[in-house]
Amino acid sequence: MAASTATQRIIAAALSLACGVFACGMRDASAAGIHSQQSATAPAPTPADPAAQTTANKRATKLVTDETGRRMAIPLNVQRVVSLAPNLTETIYALGLDAKLAGDTTYCDIPLAAKEKPHVGAPQNPSLEAIVALHPDLVLATTSINRAETADALLKIGVPVYTSDPHTITGMLGATALMADLLGASEQGATLVAQLQKRLDALHAALQDQPMAHVLFVVWEDPLISIGQNTFIADALRWAGAESIIVANQNWPQVSMEEVVRLQPEYIVLTADHLAAETHEHVHNLRDRPTWRELRAVELGHVVMASEEFTRPSPGLVGAIESLAHELHPDAFAPKAENRKVKIEAGELLYAAAALTESALNSAKGCGTCAR
Amino acid sequence: MRPLTPRRILAICGMLAAILFVVVVISLRVGAYPISMRDIVVTLYNGAVGNGDSSEFSQVIFGLRLPRIALGILVGAALSTSGAGFQALLRNPLADPFVLGVSSGAALGAMLSLIIAPHTVGAIQLAAFIGAAATIAAVYFLGRRGGQLDSATLLLAGIIAASFLSAIIIFLLTLVNGPGLRSMTFWLMGDLTAPPPTQNVLGWFGFLYFVFIVAAGAMYTTSSDLNLILTGEQEAGHLGVNVTRVKLVVYVAASVLTGLAVSVSGTIGYVGLLVPHVMRMLFGTDYRLLIPTSAIGGAIVIVLADTLGRTIVAPTELPVGAMTALAGAPVFIYLMRRRIR
Repeated sequence: MAASTATQRIIAAALSLACGVFACGMRDASAAGIHSQQSATAPAPTPADPAAQTTANKRATKLVTDETGRRMAIPLNVQRVVSLAPNLTETIYALGLDAKLAGDTTYCDIPLAAKEKPHVGAPQNPSLEAIVALHPDLVLATTSINRAETADALLKIGVPVYTSDPHTITGMLGATALMADLLGASEQGATLVAQLQKRLDALHAALQDQPMAHVLFVVWEDPLISIGQNTFIADALRWAGAESIIVANQNWPQVSMEEVVRLQPEYIVLTADHLAAETHEHVHNLRDRPTWRELRAVELGHVVMASEEFTRPSPGLVGAIESLAHELHPDAFAPKAENRKVKIEAGELLYAAAALTESALNSAKGCGTCAR
Repeated sequence: MRPLTPRRILAICGMLAAILFVVVVISLRVGAYPISMRDIVVTLYNGAVGNGDSSEFSQVIFGLRLPRIALGILVGAALSTSGAGFQALLRNPLADPFVLGVSSGAALGAMLSLIIAPHTVGAIQLAAFIGAAATIAAVYFLGRRGGQLDSATLLLAGIIAASFLSAIIIFLLTLVNGPGLRSMTFWLMGDLTAPPPTQNVLGWFGFLYFVFIVAAGAMYTTSSDLNLILTGEQEAGHLGVNVTRVKLVVYVAASVLTGLAVSVSGTIGYVGLLVPHVMRMLFGTDYRLLIPTSAIGGAIVIVLADTLGRTIVAPTELPVGAMTALAGAPVFIYLMRRRIR
């Protein structure tokens, strides 16, 4: 018994000694962190070349508060940006600043060139090391897909992370202008935002006399997940002259089919690639599925595909809104009716033929809207 | 089996510590950011003599890799030690922090903090710890029968508490929105990527390791008595062991260790169950050896699992909890089959 007590003491002492040594190491670590902040302007003793360049760029900075309330110093002359979300990558391309994009995520696929950039992982769990390895002056994140932990961890080691938090289309435009400012491209930003705003205003004018279409927006089919009122998608739907039938406080509520049957949406909006053939397939798919086929909207073929861009708060969203508005309210755009819509009902064939003739006439006249 | 001398304990622990050291070196070396061994040594040396610089090397080493390794060691050691403690306490090989509902209690606390105070720094850790402590108290209260801590009743109370709390968590998951939901999902999978909640990294880890030393040390003082209790509570009582006191110490210590681990890393499964069993298969059932070997073994497993998690699908990272379950089960089955033969 006595021997074992002695053993216990020895081991306890060894354990605490080991941890003491470790704790010293950590103190040095945190001291090094503070030291590094103070000597940010001094050239580092042993950095690799790109790191030295980054240090030089970091000299002139401005204090910025992002849309989540985090404060950080961002270089005035940002040269290397890492985007942590597809919509941010898309915005950078829309601003024509892709030369500054040092890296993006494995989800970034619009435009296709974004796939060629170095990837730092998926938006929710990127490799922080891979981000640091790209020597960014600035990392861009968004609350709609990234985790707060990622931004916190990067800020902690001195990498500025600007997080945007758009809940509306106006908010998206504001965020776009802000991003342009941060990247030193205020003019491009102002031009782009003005263009988008003009298109939105035109859309608003065209839809003024149209009744709101009541739609079921399908984020995920099985289980059925729709949208809440505070999402930018709900706002995008309003711009397209539509209203989600689902009333929920959650952003991505799971909805029962029973509720959908009760609410009987006028249109069902699905999201996917812009292939018209798929719309056709989807309508058929829904007609094969039990509860779905009894919905009036499915019977009438009122199933609309919104482009994938509809789920991304980026400049491309405005185009997606326009397309959806054309699908839901063809009358409002009667003189230049859509020719891409796939008609399923026999009764609508006549209308489709008329629309085709119309568009043929229009394209002969070189109508820009239809060509798009 | 050879008699357990202090020399043998130190030899075995030294060997395991050497393996842990190798794993730590590997973990420091590999990652998405390429750093040579020489640069690691130089950076560590500069940091150690207070001559740190602002290079990306020190950002990666001191800002990302070391804190993660430190957290991995702590979490692995705490979970395994508490698993060993619960297994002795309940004399049940299936006992571990998860079975007893402690992890679910911590998870519920974390979730409530995300709903009530989503942006408060450190709120998740504090709430998780309170949740773990409250669950422990409730299970302890329910697990007593006739004033005695009854193993079977305690286990049942734990299992019931775990499923009840899980049901509440599922209900609350439908109320959490957007970013909070994502944080929660990763937290429930076990995740070491969250940064320390304070600027004072040293103070934070000092606090965590201090709590670990106190709780693990308290459990270690009972190890001789635990050996006797494992042969039978009555016999141990006849030999002069205060069975009630020992059980209380082990119960509280194991619970504190679980709360500690879960509050900083979320719910990481398997480690608390598997590591003590593996150590028993390798080194025997003596708790004087089992507690320290479980602690070091758990640290090895978590650091290794996290290193794999951030490299095998790089640049994306796998949560460490997914890795431990993925790698833990086959290893355990292999050892079990080998022992049967």
